[in-house]
Amino acid sequence: MKPNQLTIAQARSKMDAGEITSEELTKACLEEIENLNPALNAFLESYADGALQAARLADERRGKGDRLGVLDGIPLALKDNLMDQGRKVTGGSRILENHVAAYDGTVVRKLKEQGAVILGRTNMDEFAMGSSTEFSAYGPTKNPHDLDRVPGGSSGGSAAATAADLCLGALGSDTGGSIRQPAAMCGVVGLKPSYGRVSRYGLMAMASSLDQIGPFAKTVEDAALVLQAIQGADPNDQTTSDEKSFVPSWRENLSGVRIGLPRQAWGQGMHAQVREAVMQAVKAMEKQGAKIVEVDLPYADEALAAYYVIMPCEVSANLARYDGMRYGLREKGLALFETYARSRAHGFGPEARRRILLGTYALSRGYYDAYYLQAKRVQTLIKRAYVQAFDQVDALLTPTAPNPAFRLGEKTEDPLAMYLEDVFTVGANVAGLPAVSVPCGTADKMPVGLHLIGRAFGEAPLLAVARVYEESMK
Amino acid sequence: MALSRDEVKQLADLARTELSEEELTAAEHDLDKILGYVERLQKVDTAGVEPSAMPARTEWREDTALPCDEMAREIILTNFPARSGDLLKTPGVFEKPKGGKA
Repeated sequence: MKPNQLTIAQARSKMDAGEITSEELTKACLEEIENLNPALNAFLESYADGALQAARLADERRGKGDRLGVLDGIPLALKDNLMDQGRKVTGGSRILENHVAAYDGTVVRKLKEQGAVILGRTNMDEFAMGSSTEFSAYGPTKNPHDLDRVPGGSSGGSAAATAADLCLGALGSDTGGSIRQPAAMCGVVGLKPSYGRVSRYGLMAMASSLDQIGPFAKTVEDAALVLQAIQGADPNDQTTSDEKSFVPSWRENLSGVRIGLPRQAWGQGMHAQVREAVMQAVKAMEKQGAKIVEVDLPYADEALAAYYVIMPCEVSANLARYDGMRYGLREKGLALFETYARSRAHGFGPEARRRILLGTYALSRGYYDAYYLQAKRVQTLIKRAYVQAFDQVDALLTPTAPNPAFRLGEKTEDPLAMYLEDVFTVGANVAGLPAVSVPCGTADKMPVGLHLIGRAFGEAPLLAVARVYEESMK
Repeated sequence: MALSRDEVKQLADLARTELSEEELTAAEHDLDKILGYVERLQKVDTAGVEPSAMPARTEWREDTALPCDEMAREIILTNFPARSGDLLKTPGVFEKPKGGKA
């Protein structure tokens, strides 16, 4: 086994036992990046010098018995919408092509404080808008399982990098499924924490009431380790919660656990082999002692519609700052309005512009009540529906995505078809609940993801259930 | 629920962006389709339901200036598209438009 193929837990244990160094781990990742990244385009930039320097410092510390955190010396990648001071950061957009991060985002600062090694920045759909990474201004990322297929999106680079062992784990962001769906399509674990669990300070905002940063990892245990490192209330992010910290609490089996299959979700269209793979997982969980219950989850159908109103509205506000004034692309030699208009027209891609226009419409006078306010009211109903469902069950289960990874170019001409890929994942964002995708079988020879949603701030029981399933498949 | 071309142009103005003729046509079509999908929200009975909102904050920090990290300051200045010393240069607010828009 090559060092870059280890899990975070295995690497930690080998480093502590003196069997491997951070430098060896980091070199192995950098070599694999050199080998595979030209074909995959998972990384937009890798930091060979910086990473090796950080790795050597980690080895020095360990030599003196001064290990920082659990992630000390572990090589990880960052989605290109996370601020890493002094590094270029583009959000996958042309409008920030030469932008340099002025500060460390809170999660990046925490990773560095733990001693993690940052390998580089990964590709994404522009400003996190997309489900395939095809809307990156820097070319698509390819799925490591089939180079003609998408890795999912918007965190496709981080998903592909983790799946191809270019790193031991990565961070992504998830607003409607952007961690979980690419995790499913690439065959890795992807976790979206509860809203408020992880600080968004230093994450380029897409939809501020829905965005969360979370880990990609090869195992559920690894995802838990990364979440522990990045979580916490932050005065720089007023939406972070003072809830008790997440501490993993594993289970032997699923006895006493009630798993709900939401009737409305399962009624949606999905690839036959996806249904089959996930039903096999349900049977496996039953064998572990879980009670499987069909539950009513009203408004599951409307969750996607509510999301595609609320999110573009917030996007239109959050992307107003990219106006060619203080940073980013500025078209020169024009008067003020034209500078705004042309900089934004040239700097933004088609999907970003589409969503800005949609949001502008839904927030404009005469339409605000019918669209935005109505969507926010429906959101209240959706939140209540989840609370009621969790009276009867401990976790909700669906496939992560209705289809396995599709071919490049297959859905780029049909925005609505692309949006429907999010049908199972958006509910968790709209309701602010934690959700995880775990690999579960294949469809069309491509990975399939199992999607579990937990109670608010219930990452511990949620991941415990996910891990029992994961272990049972070994 | 069809959006007129003029309405889309107006949206582009509000959003401070430009669309070419082709892009306008594409936007008309795409927005119609998407709005057609989200129409289903109108059928949901939300009488008496409050719009979902963040809990209100009641504690505030002191309104004092905090120092800026020196490296952050340097980078911010380097990111300026046009600079005069430590000042950001922008087009004049009252400058007459060159292309037509006021």
